Amino acid sequence: MEKEIKKGREHPLSIVINDTVKIFTDLGFEVATGPELEDIWHNFDALNIPKDHPARDMQDTFYIKGEDGKVLRTHTSNVQIRYMENLIKSGGKPPFAIIAPGKCFRNEATDATHEMQFYQIEGLMIGEDINMVHLKGVLSHFYKKMLGDDVDLRFRPSFFPFTEPSIEFDLKFNGKWLEIGGAGMVHPNVLNNCGIDAEKYQGFAFGPGLERLMVIKYGMPDIRPAYQGDLRFNQL
Amino acid sequence: MKVSYNWLQNYFEEKLPEPEKVSEGVIFHSFEVEEMEKVGNDTIFDIKILPDRAHDCLSHFGIAKEISAIFRMKLKEKEYKTFEPEQTNLKIEIKSDKCLRYMGRIVRNIKVDKSPDWLKERLETIGQKSINNIVDAANFVMFDLGQPIHCFDLDKLFPRTVLENSKKDSPLILIRQAREGEKMTTLDNREVKLNPLNMVIADEKNVLALAGIKGGKIAEVTEDTKNIIIEVANFNPTNVRKTSKEVNIFTDAVKRFENDLSPEIVNDAMNDMSALVLEMCKGATLEEVVDVYTKKQEKRKLSFNIKKISKRLGLDVSIATVEDMLKRFGVLYKNTGDDFEIVVPDMRLDLKTEEDMSEEIIRILGYEKLKEKLPEINWNPKMNETYAKISWARNKLLNDGYSEVMTYSFCNKGEIEVLASASDKKFLRTNLTDGLKESLKLNQLNAPLLEMNEIKIFEIGTIFKRGGEEMHIAYGDKKNVTEVSLEEFTSPPRPSGTPPQQGGEEISPHLDKEGAGGGNFKFKMWSMFPFIARDIAVWVPEGIKNEDVEKVIKNNMGELVIRGPELFDQFKKDGKTSYAFRLVFQSYDRTLTDAEINEIMTKITNKIKEKNGWQVR
Repeated sequence: MEKEIKKGREHPLSIVINDTVKIFTDLGFEVATGPELEDIWHNFDALNIPKDHPARDMQDTFYIKGEDGKVLRTHTSNVQIRYMENLIKSGGKPPFAIIAPGKCFRNEATDATHEMQFYQIEGLMIGEDINMVHLKGVLSHFYKKMLGDDVDLRFRPSFFPFTEPSIEFDLKFNGKWLEIGGAGMVHPNVLNNCGIDAEKYQGFAFGPGLERLMVIKYGMPDIRPAYQGDLRFNQL
Repeated sequence: MKVSYNWLQNYFEEKLPEPEKVSEGVIFHSFEVEEMEKVGNDTIFDIKILPDRAHDCLSHFGIAKEISAIFRMKLKEKEYKTFEPEQTNLKIEIKSDKCLRYMGRIVRNIKVDKSPDWLKERLETIGQKSINNIVDAANFVMFDLGQPIHCFDLDKLFPRTVLENSKKDSPLILIRQAREGEKMTTLDNREVKLNPLNMVIADEKNVLALAGIKGGKIAEVTEDTKNIIIEVANFNPTNVRKTSKEVNIFTDAVKRFENDLSPEIVNDAMNDMSALVLEMCKGATLEEVVDVYTKKQEKRKLSFNIKKISKRLGLDVSIATVEDMLKRFGVLYKNTGDDFEIVVPDMRLDLKTEEDMSEEIIRILGYEKLKEKLPEINWNPKMNETYAKISWARNKLLNDGYSEVMTYSFCNKGEIEVLASASDKKFLRTNLTDGLKESLKLNQLNAPLLEMNEIKIFEIGTIFKRGGEEMHIAYGDKKNVTEVSLEEFTSPPRPSGTPPQQGGEEISPHLDKEGAGGGNFKFKMWSMFPFIARDIAVWVPEGIKNEDVEKVIKNNMGELVIRGPELFDQFKKDGKTSYAFRLVFQSYDRTLTDAEINEIMTKITNKIKEKNGWQVR
């Protein structure tokens, strides 16, 4: 009947990723990318994760058969390490701000809120005086753009080897507090590992999952349909 | 970890705030409280102790110290009964560098019995089973102070006499690495084969316990036990963790040892345990403690500067604030203006740097003290080529009528295999085509449910081959699927369109169109039950509109139609018009039968026939 080509339907996760990138690039962040199959240095060591840390266990991390020291990245934090290493190698120095959206992997059973593969957006801003108040400002700005001006943000104490202080942040959305993700001030060891003088520079990092944001934003009951190649999922 | 409110109260003279308040305080200043439950006249908190505090907070004492700092409540001074211990012949030899401290004490003439009610209740409210007074006392001290304790039946040790004093036994406890192939049977009757990486507690002949993990059957404390050795020790965390994984035994003791306890707590734990045993077994006699402490934990000092901490937090922290925080934790300090030096408490192995102190200060002050401010940063962000190419490719395919899917990176066969996967799909995909074909199949079956003239889909994703990973693009319809690398797809001569650019206007239509909050869009989960599609074609006199027919169908089709009526064909002949509609039926809670759909269709047909000049073809 109609000859005109109807535009295809985007995957909701793509929409969330692109919107996220747009909000952060408007704030002056640069997009950074990196490999999904990563070495232990970029995925663990450089991030100040101790050798016998439970996160390195086989039940959490996919190690590669026959390739010693290779893993499927467990977060996109590997990208911040690679970015900083390259920056220093090419003679650059802070300040800088990057976001790294990308696919990550965890060796865990699949259920309504967990998948073996998921998208994370890693954010990193380093300068001479980038502080925790800025972290709060950036996260608050992002989630207000994403979910509406009436969302509230709060921090709670947490622990990650790559940040100090480390926090967990929650959002109040539609009257309910929801756990969203982790963040903190980059641990000086991480900066030093990449050749950045931690005496002079400081900054924050955050790394929430994007499926969670998608599920909250669109009121989805389950994340599993996201990877089933089912077009009924593309409702936007 | 389960923590009892009443148990915590024992640490304070002052009445604790209500359980809800305690929970809130802990959540916003220390740890997540995952659950709060009333048990009898007590409240149990399930607290998720953070890994960097597991060495000092997997205990009621640890949480009490936090509460003391959060609520400015003074901890009660502990009082120990003094007792005159007898001389001892116990010998302890540490023959492994994986044991920092081993303290042993013989207690004679004990009576193994059931525990007093208070002890039973304490353990049972936090979900522990009461076994007998001796085992319960050891467990109680562990959940109280965080230091695991083990007891051996002294009389079951290999009998040993020394020449000079042949009448008296002289028991020997050895802490050593196991021998290759050595075996032991644990308290729960599991036979474990050991190797030299495992550390054991042994007498001259037998292995008595797997150090820090589980006691052995040989020297088990039973109802008949008269004399015991109390063990309070400090074992290497990595060794305990590795051995525990090897033998597949995970205990509350393992959970504590693997997080690196301070050897300084050993003394308190021994005192508490001794006092408890004496209290429960009147007539028992204590012998002297034998304490082998190979390397004493050194007193550490830590310096920090308030200006630097303020700069990190983005909040002006005053000298008074810091002093107040240190006092709340009972930390010894001195300062010259903004420069502080503290003596790190023995138990706080986590405090090492100025940054650690910045966290201590802000978490006790409360993160709500931090304002929100957007940073100003002076630099020139560059375009990311990979991301720009992906955006360009996605927009091009969308504009060409392809819809986007995402499929799994894992599959049944490939070149790169992952180890120990929880799933049966152990390989990484070498192409997108296989997943896309599956997706095409699925979507074609569902075509009646989708508002699409034809199924055209694409995926952009990483594939993994022996030589490395590569970003690919695959797109296709029912006729064929094309797969190329992102590079190839986006390199000139491009099929059409503008060159890749990051942040093109089409990237974010949803954000601008719907504004923040995602507009009014609400995702609707589909039914997991099969659908049934039916067509109905109707002849009507010329001049009757399709909406008129649609209305009749709608009024009679019931609740099960999830799509339609949708007009898919119409034509005129001999002064009559034919309209053909499609209806798709599906239920959210059951599989529909042909019979019930036939019934609905018959109802619609009959209603149509009632109209003058209307006819179902």
